[in-house]
Amino acid sequence: MSLESLLLYFFAGGALLGGVLMLVARHPMRVALALIGSMLSLAGLYAVLGVHVIAVFQVLIYVGAVMVFMVYVIMLLDVRDPSFLERYSGALLPSVALAAAIAVALGAALSRGTVADGPDPAALAAAARGTLFNVQPFSVEFLERYWLHFELTSVLLLAAVVAAIAIVKAGRRHDG
Amino acid sequence: MNLLTLIVVLPLAGFLLNGLLGPRLGKPFVTVVGCGLPILAFLATVRAFLQLNGTEGAALVETAYTWAVVGDFTFDIAFYFDRLSAVMTLIITGVGSLIHVYSTGYMKDDASYARYFSYLNLFLFFMLLLVLGRSLLVCFVGWEGVGLASYLLIGFWFEDMAKAQAGKKAFITNRVGDAGFLLGMFLLYHAVGTLDFDGVNAAFSGPVAPAVSASLVGVLLFIGATGKSAQIPLHVWLPDAMAGPTPVSALIHAATMVTAGVYLVARLNGLYLQAPEASQVIAVIGVLTAFFAATIAVVQTDIKKVLAYSTISQLGFMFVALGVGAYGVAVFHVYTHAFFKACLFLGAGSVIHALSGEQDIRKMGGLARRIPITFVTFAVATAAIAGLPPLAGFFSKDEILWFAFASERGGSTLLWAVASLTALLTAFYMFRLLWLTFLTPSRMDEKTAHHVHESPFSMTGVLIVLAVLSAVGGFVHLPHFLEPLMPLPATDHALEHLEMPLIVLAVVTGLLGLGAAIYVYRGGLARAERLQRRFAGAHRLLSGKYFVDEFYEAVLGRPLHWISERVFLRLGDRILIDGSLHGLTGLAQRAAGRLSRVETGNLQFYVLLAALGLVASLAWMWRHG
Amino acid sequence: MDRTQLLLTVSIALFALGLTGVMIRRNALVMLMCMELMLNGVILSLVTFAAATATLSGAVLVFLVFVVAAAEIAIAIPIVLLLSRQRKSLDVGAYSELKG
Repeated sequence: MSLESLLLYFFAGGALLGGVLMLVARHPMRVALALIGSMLSLAGLYAVLGVHVIAVFQVLIYVGAVMVFMVYVIMLLDVRDPSFLERYSGALLPSVALAAAIAVALGAALSRGTVADGPDPAALAAAARGTLFNVQPFSVEFLERYWLHFELTSVLLLAAVVAAIAIVKAGRRHDG
Repeated sequence: MNLLTLIVVLPLAGFLLNGLLGPRLGKPFVTVVGCGLPILAFLATVRAFLQLNGTEGAALVETAYTWAVVGDFTFDIAFYFDRLSAVMTLIITGVGSLIHVYSTGYMKDDASYARYFSYLNLFLFFMLLLVLGRSLLVCFVGWEGVGLASYLLIGFWFEDMAKAQAGKKAFITNRVGDAGFLLGMFLLYHAVGTLDFDGVNAAFSGPVAPAVSASLVGVLLFIGATGKSAQIPLHVWLPDAMAGPTPVSALIHAATMVTAGVYLVARLNGLYLQAPEASQVIAVIGVLTAFFAATIAVVQTDIKKVLAYSTISQLGFMFVALGVGAYGVAVFHVYTHAFFKACLFLGAGSVIHALSGEQDIRKMGGLARRIPITFVTFAVATAAIAGLPPLAGFFSKDEILWFAFASERGGSTLLWAVASLTALLTAFYMFRLLWLTFLTPSRMDEKTAHHVHESPFSMTGVLIVLAVLSAVGGFVHLPHFLEPLMPLPATDHALEHLEMPLIVLAVVTGLLGLGAAIYVYRGGLARAERLQRRFAGAHRLLSGKYFVDEFYEAVLGRPLHWISERVFLRLGDRILIDGSLHGLTGLAQRAAGRLSRVETGNLQFYVLLAALGLVASLAWMWRHG
Repeated sequence: MDRTQLLLTVSIALFALGLTGVMIRRNALVMLMCMELMLNGVILSLVTFAAATATLSGAVLVFLVFVVAAAEIAIAIPIVLLLSRQRKSLDVGAYSELKG
């Protein structure tokens, strides 16, 4: 077993473990920490796959921005209510069964499916050398082909900021 | 040059111009367009007529438009101009133009002047389509169209409920006849494979008769004719149709539209020659209508109603002629009748105009001095319809009586006797009308009498023209002109020596009617009222018009009303349709009530449902992927 | 089991775990985090396919999804904040105003 596949199994196991811990942990802070662990494992997976850019962004955006925000909110709202004492809702068993059914159905689809078009051999070779997903080709692709999408995301983020402010303001007014 | 198309299209243009622009551009425009285009159509007809005479009898045919092609059959909007349609077209455009001119005076102060002229032009358009159409189909379009125009014009003053009702009655009664027309047409098409008049006539006079009973087709088409030409049993609409403006009564309900049935039968003479049973039905219906309408006319007191029943009676005469195979003679009577009946109606319009709307002849009298032109023209037309020589009505009526007596195609002494009796009654009630309106001492009240005035020249001029035509029109021997198209029936040689005596008898009959009218009505109403008291039962029967309307109401109207009320309204509409709709909405409401319980407000339950849906769709893909 | 299949299995497992969390956990913030886990599972499958087919566009798409996720959380968290401020609770069982 090579080092690469060892790392692969390690990080996959870490991601799954984080997911399971999220379900059982009682305090939201622990859930958040489990999620962060899972996300870091995923970043490791991406790195093993050679997609370094995405691995970096996973850490920067998800762990660095989203989860920090989340942890901050959890600390802000340290509310002790029934959701702390009683972790689970009433329909526990049917929910688990349903999720399992979905997992089985998707897994079954996975076992039947194939990748339709064979990949470009040159690109595959580059991927094997670990150079395809380097920062330079990624940036060239991004800013030459997908510049419009890039600009659109800035519009989306602006809209989200405005919406967040509007929601908070509306809530303040409502509180009076 | 498409002369025939032009004739038809001119009034249509008038209808569109007056209908769309008339109310904005004012009365002078409406007058010029409304009268000018029919006169142009008349001139075009004269030109076409001259062209026809140049071709020595070959008909002019013009295809304006191919309407539809179904398999091997094409339905063309084609026009056919032979001697018969020439006579009809000349009458329609000629008398029509005169009545348009008359209307400019009569309708001068009406608020809906433009609407009136657009309807009148529309009527002319459809009437021309009817007589010029080459096939039964085009003819039927015109047939329905004149019904529409007639409906619109009877109900012209639709603010008055009774007048709107009269329009509706005319329309619905005609619809009954149209059903017969349609069935006849379908049957004919099925058997002959063409609807062109010339094709149908040729098929029936050819060596191999079509595989259909000519009498059946004939009777069905005649049912259509009874509707349009107001014959028993569908005559009830015509007297009520007098609710329209008087020029309309003159044009549509006397001179042109009501003769459409006569035209139809005459046009299909090739078919009716092979249908002796249908011809017999026509003759019997015709003579019965003539007689009963004449008896009703004797007791009517409304000047227009008298003329309406007289029209029905005269149409009966025409059908007698058709029934005994004298098609040319029937058209001859259409032609003379158009002149004197138009003159009578327009004269009556002039009288009504002079009396500010009074129509009851018991309240008239002594008008001869006050409105002399109207009186003279009315008197000439009265003498014409009574059959006094040498006026137009004498010639045509005499020929009808002669063929009713002597034709080898169904003439009989009984037919002649009833027709002669009717002629006597005709003379009597027409002279009664003349005396009561113009000659007896005045029975008007002061106010009306003060206002009496002669009509403007646009009206009297038309009256004079029509009176002259009523006087001399009979000297044109139409049956002879039409003989190449529809030969007169053979007459019984054994009876030919009786022709002169019969003519004398007819004249004597007319004079007898005149004498009786003078005897009864010379001194006013006193003597007539004594007669009325003595024969009270008969008078009630006649003034009730034999209670045909009441009979129809009881036999058809009430049951229909009952069925509509009970079966269609209560069962069909309220229970079945409303019930099912209410049931559906109730179902939806109850279902929504049940389903809204799903919205518990619990977020996680929603997620559960969404997941369930996801599983279901995945499972579906699994089965069908 | 080759690499691609392993990773896809992990992605399905993460998705299912996240879904279970959304369905069973009562705390609104925890539910939000479980949704993030679901999204991460999906992103993993996307990256796996991009790597397996050596498609650079796939990586770009992942970046765009990150941005959308950030925007989503920027709006979702204020909403949760408002809800908790009104009800003094993070228990979704307390939010039953949406009852039909």
